[in-house]
Amino acid sequence: MVSKTEEEEVNRLESQVDNGGGGAWEYLSLVRKLKLRRSDKVLKHGCSILNDSKKRSALGSEEWTLYEQVAIAAMDCQRLDLAKDCIKVLQKKFPGSKRVGRLEAMLLEAKELWAEAEKAYSSLLEENQFDQVIHKRRVAMAKAQGNISGAIEWLNKYLEIFMADHDAWRELGEIYISLQMYKQASYCYEELILAQPTIPLYHLTYADVLYTLGGLENLHAAKKYYAATIDLTGGKNMRALFGICLCVSGIGQLTKGRNKEDKESPELQTLSALVLEKGYKQQSPTKLPLLTSALKSLKLS
Amino acid sequence: MGAGFFVGVIGVLILLHAAYSTIQYRTLLKITDEQFSGAPINVVIELIAGLVLCTWAALTVPGKFLSILPHSDENRVVSLPDNLDFMIFNHRGKAFPLDMDVKLK
Repeated sequence: MVSKTEEEEVNRLESQVDNGGGGAWEYLSLVRKLKLRRSDKVLKHGCSILNDSKKRSALGSEEWTLYEQVAIAAMDCQRLDLAKDCIKVLQKKFPGSKRVGRLEAMLLEAKELWAEAEKAYSSLLEENQFDQVIHKRRVAMAKAQGNISGAIEWLNKYLEIFMADHDAWRELGEIYISLQMYKQASYCYEELILAQPTIPLYHLTYADVLYTLGGLENLHAAKKYYAATIDLTGGKNMRALFGICLCVSGIGQLTKGRNKEDKESPELQTLSALVLEKGYKQQSPTKLPLLTSALKSLKLS
Repeated sequence: MGAGFFVGVIGVLILLHAAYSTIQYRTLLKITDEQFSGAPINVVIELIAGLVLCTWAALTVPGKFLSILPHSDENRVVSLPDNLDFMIFNHRGKAFPLDMDVKLK
């Protein structure tokens, strides 16, 4: 989870480091802690630390963590030569280490030598059957080869053993969404909400999935989850506010002419529209006319 | 901290005294050969007083409590971490290699 203050901190440090101010190590540590994928920056600033022997030795044992971080970032930026150099250093320091072995296998993956990488991973798994990261790498490998159904199969197998791994649930949900299998995706997000009910983004995505599925019942449920997102973010999440508006107008369309007693009160929609307008006025007044026209079209339908 | 800590010390002393009195009472009962049915009323009062004082001290001494507000502005979750365990390397960034001439020395 990245909270608002942490996000601001990262952005502040990033601009500071980019403009030549110090704090590169703090920035890299924060990126690692928050698990952000800013490989180009990590590569640039990580190398500048690693090339400076004074700075490097000041890190103590953290030096090796930095080597690992830079190696992965280098693979992500397709600088395989650099990744290889980093891994060589680590290999010299920790011969026979499984963590370095994993990095080597990842390098094979980055070179697209799938068969070799698979062999390396299975030999690593033979030593330790319950290495979660390696299981996940296999899923990623199937995904990288475009074998999405294979990735789903691996992930389902993995989740049978490690049911509490919410990152894996999230990945599975995202894969299902990419395949437009919304029913299955909604199941994954239900699991996520159950595991971490205080994270508004899971509620939001679940609501999105339900809204996409459509149908009166799903729209009602989606509205509730959008409302939960608003509750958890203090009304700062624009997407959830838009979601409420869309849901209410969708429900109105579906129930039009049915003249039921349990007609929705329009209060929720007008309130969220008000908050939206206020937010746009504050943040980007130029786009306000766009918003008002969009809201008007929603209310008319 | 001073006052709260002092109150806490008094509370602990009262609890210790209550324990001591109970032990004394039990030895007295052994001498008079009676059954132990419960602590005497003054010990119970002592216990309650000690409990209240200790609880109060434990709540005030460590410092101010911070509220858990999931929707407070600083605290709200704005994004999830990138799922790095599932990161793949043949993404579209591959088509645009970085022009960065970093090298490990």
